[in-house]
Amino acid sequence: MKTKAAVLWELGAPWSIEEIELDAPKAGEVLVEMKASGMCHSDEHLVTGDLPFALPIIGGHEGAGIVREVGEGVSWLAPGDHVVFGFIPSCGRCPSCSTGHQNLCDLGALMGGGRQITDGGSRHHANGQDLGLMCLLGTFAHHTVVNEASCIKVEPDLPLDKMCLLGCGVVTGWGSSVYAAQVRPGDTVAVVGVGGIGANAIQGARLAGAKRIVAIDPVEFKREKAMEFGATHAASSMAEALPLLQDITWGTMANKVIMTMGVGDGQVLAEAMALASKRGRVVVTNIHPALEMTANVNLLDVTLMEKQIVGSLFGSGNPRADIPKLANLYREGQLDLDGLVTRTYPLEGINEGYEAMRKGENIRGVLVYD
Amino acid sequence: MSGVRTSKAAVLWGLNQEWSLEEIEVHPPKAGEVIVHWKAAGMCHSDEHLVTGDMVPPEEMYALMGIEDFFPIIGGHEGAGVVVEVGPGVTSVQVGDHVSASFVPSCGRCRYCSTGRQNLCDNGAKTFIGGMITDDTHRHFVKGKPVTLMAKLGTFSEYACVAEQSIIKVEKDIPLECVALVSCGVATGWGSAANRAGTQAGDTVVVVGCGGIGMNAVQGARMAGAKRIIAVDPVEFKREKAMEFGATHTYSSMAEAMLPVMEMTYGQMADRVIMTPGVLEGEMMADGMNLAGKGGTVVVTAISPMTSETASVNLFQLAMWNKEIKGTIFGSLNPRADIPALLDMYRAGQLKLDELITKTYTLDQINEGYQAMRDGTNIRGVIVNA
Repeated sequence: MKTKAAVLWELGAPWSIEEIELDAPKAGEVLVEMKASGMCHSDEHLVTGDLPFALPIIGGHEGAGIVREVGEGVSWLAPGDHVVFGFIPSCGRCPSCSTGHQNLCDLGALMGGGRQITDGGSRHHANGQDLGLMCLLGTFAHHTVVNEASCIKVEPDLPLDKMCLLGCGVVTGWGSSVYAAQVRPGDTVAVVGVGGIGANAIQGARLAGAKRIVAIDPVEFKREKAMEFGATHAASSMAEALPLLQDITWGTMANKVIMTMGVGDGQVLAEAMALASKRGRVVVTNIHPALEMTANVNLLDVTLMEKQIVGSLFGSGNPRADIPKLANLYREGQLDLDGLVTRTYPLEGINEGYEAMRKGENIRGVLVYD
Repeated sequence: MSGVRTSKAAVLWGLNQEWSLEEIEVHPPKAGEVIVHWKAAGMCHSDEHLVTGDMVPPEEMYALMGIEDFFPIIGGHEGAGVVVEVGPGVTSVQVGDHVSASFVPSCGRCRYCSTGRQNLCDNGAKTFIGGMITDDTHRHFVKGKPVTLMAKLGTFSEYACVAEQSIIKVEKDIPLECVALVSCGVATGWGSAANRAGTQAGDTVVVVGCGGIGMNAVQGARMAGAKRIIAVDPVEFKREKAMEFGATHTYSSMAEAMLPVMEMTYGQMADRVIMTPGVLEGEMMADGMNLAGKGGTVVVTAISPMTSETASVNLFQLAMWNKEIKGTIFGSLNPRADIPALLDMYRAGQLKLDELITKTYTLDQINEGYQAMRDGTNIRGVIVNA
């Protein structure tokens, strides 16, 4: 069949809207009519090269849609089912999947290549070339074919233009606080960077019972939004947050510091470590440049104050358990997704949407397909 | 080869009967299923619980479970074998692979499988219901009647059709008798002590009952660094064996252990108590709780009669001394991760498996094997098929 997709042909280029050829799903695969896709910063990392994936590629890894066709052997999905894509597949059998760490599924190793899990081939083609898929998904398209390992079924009453955000950003931020940082009731939490991830780190910290949440972002609009999501204090930089934390914690500092900047920077880790208390935990969620090999850390401080630095992917959550769990939190009014979406765009508005993200005008922009 | 196979199998036709050797029909695998030639099967106490009825639902529950009858049933839920045929869509094993049984399936998709608790997979709900996990229809027939498989495995049969969810590929260098024991009893006992109880280096651990489960709880406690491991069993042979597996002290009853544990811990009592008797009666919990100190953990691993509703627990002491009682199935481990992990501990010489096997039997000697278990002369009896 033919469908429309946003393709990146070379680094630094704009997203190009193309009519592409889409093959039928093979065994273990499903054809999904996309209804919405988040415009995540990680797709921007494809454009800048921070994420060195093979090109050409169809972008987009936060998607939700409706199953239209299932390949042979797919027993648990049927046409008409509503699905959210996990940005990391979960095979359900590897050592990570078998111990509650689906975010580290061994199939994740195939993500850089962007080809189908089943046979290494491509179902998407344009201009006579095979196209890769961001995170094996390619949600910047009206239709896509993905492996069943990437699909999570959700109840049909839930709005897909909000559910798409659960595929990556929301769980990543929420889980960074709840699972990776293990925020406890009464904690003081600092969230560094209030974009699509940080806003949800704030929501996670709030639900986990944090006493004080300090949101740090240079953009005033985002600091204001942070207060709506549950922050108790805001600062425009870590330098400004330091005396604030000293003051409100009587010098004991933050129990948890969550790093959710647009792009991580090893140079500023020292500032984050300084915000953390004795035994404080600094969670590194944001993407750092792949070739950055040094970070500023005073290791004596790590030892003597027992500080911890913890990496987190997908908020250390499990796609198959946490996407339905957060969908239910949304339904019950415990998680704000509506407030995350600043603007929606059609597929053709994708470059406009990313420009707004670069300027800091959007918490989240979402592509909505009719 | 495909088509209907005939196979010898040990079938139980009703409560308190002997296992009856029958020729059964095994139909070919459908999607997501495989035929396994079981090479080794552990004679676990849980299959005996089918005979005595401890693990058989009362007839008034049949309608609730959606079954007409519980019997006939092919026993056996500890096993290891070789894949001889695979159905459509099976990707994790191929013909010739060695596999371990897993008495709890792991679908890999439910809430529990998705959070590192495969031992609680939602498909476990079908354990005692006839038919396949995949589509609820039958592949096994005896005398023209559909026959249920214990835990969807039926390892007391030469051949069985089982779901891909219920088997785990293992390396071929490990003897299949050892794999069979790890598939339930070893993992359950080891995990009860090393995982569920949370045993830490320096702890004092009491293991109550030293059969196929308790002996591995002793091994688990030893590997987790317990300072003292007190093994309790009325049978002298088992107490002697317990010392070989790592126990530091043995007593013939909980009552006999009470004062010595008090003395050796300066009155603080045990950090962990693991309950692994053949059958756990509710009144045994009082002594079990008393063996645990302040903040102590009592793990309930053994099977209690299914309809038993009371246990002797002083809830005042439970609260005031901050004790905890924790149930466990499969030692709270994940079959797909931990069966291979335990086999690698065996390979590395850290886990004793050969020493667990007191005697092997052929399938037609099964009743002799179970009599030995009742007499307390076996740690583990294993059925070996040619």
